[in-house]
Amino acid sequence: MAELATGPTRHGLRCASCVKREADSQTAGRHVLAVADDERRATSNESAGLYVHIPVCRSKCRYCGFYSVPAGGVDAGRLVDGLLRELERYDDGIEFCTAYIGGGSPTALPAEELIRLVRRVRERCPQAQEFTVECNPGQVDARLLGGLKTAGVNRLSFGAQSFNARELELLGRAHSVGQIAAAVAMARRSGFENVGLDLIFAIPGSTLADWQAGLEAALALNIEHVSAYSLSFEAGTVFEAWRGTGWLAAVDEELDRAMYEEAIDRLERAGLRQYEISNFARPGCECRHNLGYWANRPYVGIGPAAASYLTNDAVRASGRRLTNDADIGRYLAAVESGRTAPAETNLVSPDDAACETAVLNLRRREGIDLAEFHRRTGRDAMRIFAEPIGRYRQMGLIEVADRAVRLSGQALPIADTILCDFSALE
Amino acid sequence: MDIQNIRNFSIVAHIDHGKSTLADRMLELTGTITSRQAKDQILDSMDIERERGITIKASAVTMEYEHEGQPYMLNLIDTPGHVDFGYEVSRALAACEGALLVVDATQGIQAQTLANAYLATEAGAEILGVINKVDLPAAQADLVAEEIEHVLGIRKNECFHISAKSGLGVKDLLDAVCMLLPPPVDRSDEPARALIFDSQYDDYRGVICYVRVFSGTLKTRQRVRLMGNGFTYQVTELGKFRPDMRPVDELGTGEVGYVIANIRDLANVRIGDTITDDVHPAPDALRGYKPPMQMVFSDFYPGNNTEYPRLRAAFDKLSLNDASFTFVPQNSQALGFGFRCGFLGLLHMEIIQERLERENDIDVVQTAPTVSYEILLRDGTVKRIDAPSELPDRTMVEEIREPFVKLEIITTNDTIGGIMKLAEGRRCKLLKTDYLSPTRVMMVYKAPLAEIVYDFYDLIKGVSHGYATMDYEFTGFEVGDLVKIDILVNGMPVEALSLIVHRSNAEPRGRKLITKLRKAIPRQQFEIPLQVAIGGKIIARETIKAYRKDVTAKLYGGDVTRKMKLLKKQKEGKKRMKNIGAVEIPQEAFMSVLDTSD
Repeated sequence: MAELATGPTRHGLRCASCVKREADSQTAGRHVLAVADDERRATSNESAGLYVHIPVCRSKCRYCGFYSVPAGGVDAGRLVDGLLRELERYDDGIEFCTAYIGGGSPTALPAEELIRLVRRVRERCPQAQEFTVECNPGQVDARLLGGLKTAGVNRLSFGAQSFNARELELLGRAHSVGQIAAAVAMARRSGFENVGLDLIFAIPGSTLADWQAGLEAALALNIEHVSAYSLSFEAGTVFEAWRGTGWLAAVDEELDRAMYEEAIDRLERAGLRQYEISNFARPGCECRHNLGYWANRPYVGIGPAAASYLTNDAVRASGRRLTNDADIGRYLAAVESGRTAPAETNLVSPDDAACETAVLNLRRREGIDLAEFHRRTGRDAMRIFAEPIGRYRQMGLIEVADRAVRLSGQALPIADTILCDFSALE
Repeated sequence: MDIQNIRNFSIVAHIDHGKSTLADRMLELTGTITSRQAKDQILDSMDIERERGITIKASAVTMEYEHEGQPYMLNLIDTPGHVDFGYEVSRALAACEGALLVVDATQGIQAQTLANAYLATEAGAEILGVINKVDLPAAQADLVAEEIEHVLGIRKNECFHISAKSGLGVKDLLDAVCMLLPPPVDRSDEPARALIFDSQYDDYRGVICYVRVFSGTLKTRQRVRLMGNGFTYQVTELGKFRPDMRPVDELGTGEVGYVIANIRDLANVRIGDTITDDVHPAPDALRGYKPPMQMVFSDFYPGNNTEYPRLRAAFDKLSLNDASFTFVPQNSQALGFGFRCGFLGLLHMEIIQERLERENDIDVVQTAPTVSYEILLRDGTVKRIDAPSELPDRTMVEEIREPFVKLEIITTNDTIGGIMKLAEGRRCKLLKTDYLSPTRVMMVYKAPLAEIVYDFYDLIKGVSHGYATMDYEFTGFEVGDLVKIDILVNGMPVEALSLIVHRSNAEPRGRKLITKLRKAIPRQQFEIPLQVAIGGKIIARETIKAYRKDVTAKLYGGDVTRKMKLLKKQKEGKKRMKNIGAVEIPQEAFMSVLDTSD
């Protein structure tokens, strides 16, 4: 839930080769160890992000497609031990510049377990300038927030989602409107200077006025960061099923767009600069961890369904993306016996890396920094993407200026129709 | 065999009136085949013919028959049953002295019965009236006989009542063929002349010419000349169809058979040409046929572009056995590579399409059929065009002429109203109405071919509950108030979608097209106007709205692989599109607009 830093894979979407890979990892110990050694080396040259996925929730929200199980059925101590075991595998060399604990619901863990985890992660990442924990506004108290602060967390992201009681109810959120402001106030009292909110718009049945009211309510809390997501119907969710039966209908495309434009307009006016398609922050308060994803820097994901992007030493703009098993039982069994738990591995060739970097960079308002792109991929973006850049420039959808290529304001609402032309080289 | 004992005849009939069944019974009765051998309808050698109950290619069988103690040689030359093949019917009839006109006792005279009767009369063939299926409970043989007398002038008491299925009356009919049909004229002492009335290609032996000898004698190893093009060949084999090919040493005057002369290219053999002796050639060729005229045109595109070479090979193969359809390569900006094909008529077109798909397993997309136009240019020259894109610039065109046909529709009198309404909506002019019987009517119209080539037949079938039949005959080109409508996508004309239509139809036709197009073209990043224009003037417009929202809300570490896959898929989808005026249009969109199947 909440602002999902490293997205765990969706449950139920696993291909045959992944299943086979799992089987291999059960039996071929040597092979797995080799992979593990590889991992240690893999990101040693560049500081990486660390993401820890807490795959538990008090209750499942109806729109959420991420992997989580009911918190009550999980031995929290064993889970935290497992996560720390997996983290130990990355002992040598890798320096983490950001840490992010997301979920699921980290705050669905017993406070002492969450704090224990935070403390150990902080010990492992002493240099991390940013350490975020996602919080459910209905699951925090002064003791927990104070404990997190003391343990080294310096940024909180609250899964507010909506300031409308009907919408919270429909979404299946386990908190109330009032709890949002209370949680933010509590965070301030605990000394947090960097607080963000997640909001969802285009919720079935809501109007532009509802959304405007929600934005005002969020801004009234004087937070540093807002993530504003258009609701998407994810496979395997209750919402998707309801839409299938006709109980729910996606909001009209025009309204969706109007809400999006309203968000950009209103948040910018309040001094929250849009720095990514769905993200807004006061200058200097952009989420560094997430900026790492859009810069296509390496990251390590710990926990069931968590994903890692490990780059190669020799060719930096290549590597592999690993995704852990989206099953808490299998995950724990693997890490407890000293094995890794990847369910899926995708190799990223230099060409892939160039495309991924371009697509991810273009989500940022600053776009592709041509020098940074060249450093990362060894390619000249203006040359390898000459065709789409030229075409969309003519159409006013792409701007090229200051050694950067970026989407224009009018391109943002239809970004995918443009980004797809950067998804593969001709 | 004495030439006086040779009879050459055809059976002509409306579809399903029993022509092929009658032929089978005759083959059995004459012992040409045993009934055990008799696959039904042996003359129809192609699957598709049997399935559709029609005969596409004429073929010829020689039968031996004894009549009043005398041996007779009966050559049955089969003909296609449909109006589109009038050309083939007439060339078969040209090889005959007589024709059996078969009418179904339960159906009566139909549109093609008449067309065939006219062809037989024109060819100078003696006609015997035959009423088939008289043993069916629904048979009304006497009524039908009256219709025949009324419409064709064949006396009702001279009609033969048969059941081709049971064989009833067929022997009498064979006797009548011997007694009543004339023998060939004896020109055995003149130089050899044989009419090529059909041809077929055999992979091993080359072209097999179906011939009727009109004078002199053809012999094996003879050096022969095709009088039309002057090419000469050595006859390697002569023979008769009995019904399988049986070699003979010679074919005498009046006889029907085949000639094989090591001709490797079907194009060298023109149907209707005369074969003569190379050393002692005849002074004049036999009266040939008018070359067939392609009146209906349609583009064929492979459903998948990579199938183009296979489509070409398939057309090559089809043309080996059907000289009456044409195909020329076409490269459309919108649709890629394909062929513009010319057909004798609509059914001909359907058959080619079916044979393509069936015999070659190629998925084809076929554009709506159009007709051929005659353009009178300002400088006085006349030009034939087969596609709207060939229309010269407006400023050069004096007038556009469209083909007209005499359209005959036979229907029941309670459905006249519906048919008249339909015909009027299609610019058809009623010339006359003729009652064949108290309940059945023949309506004769003057009709623009363009108006009836598309779905007209289906529509009249519909309003007449299946009773109406129609036939048409080309009468000539006439000037009309015709305009070319252009379809503009984002301001750019799309040639493949241009149409020549009557001014009164321009707006509804154009509007229908852009409505379909609007549904078929996916939205883009900008609004796309679709316009219908006549000579630069916009007469209708639709708009494809732009994408308003298409962006992934969340893209973080765990989503990269999956989201990249989705984006790649989106890109792939674009790849299959043609870029026209900066608009990406999937080929399927054009196909769906042009495809006639819906």
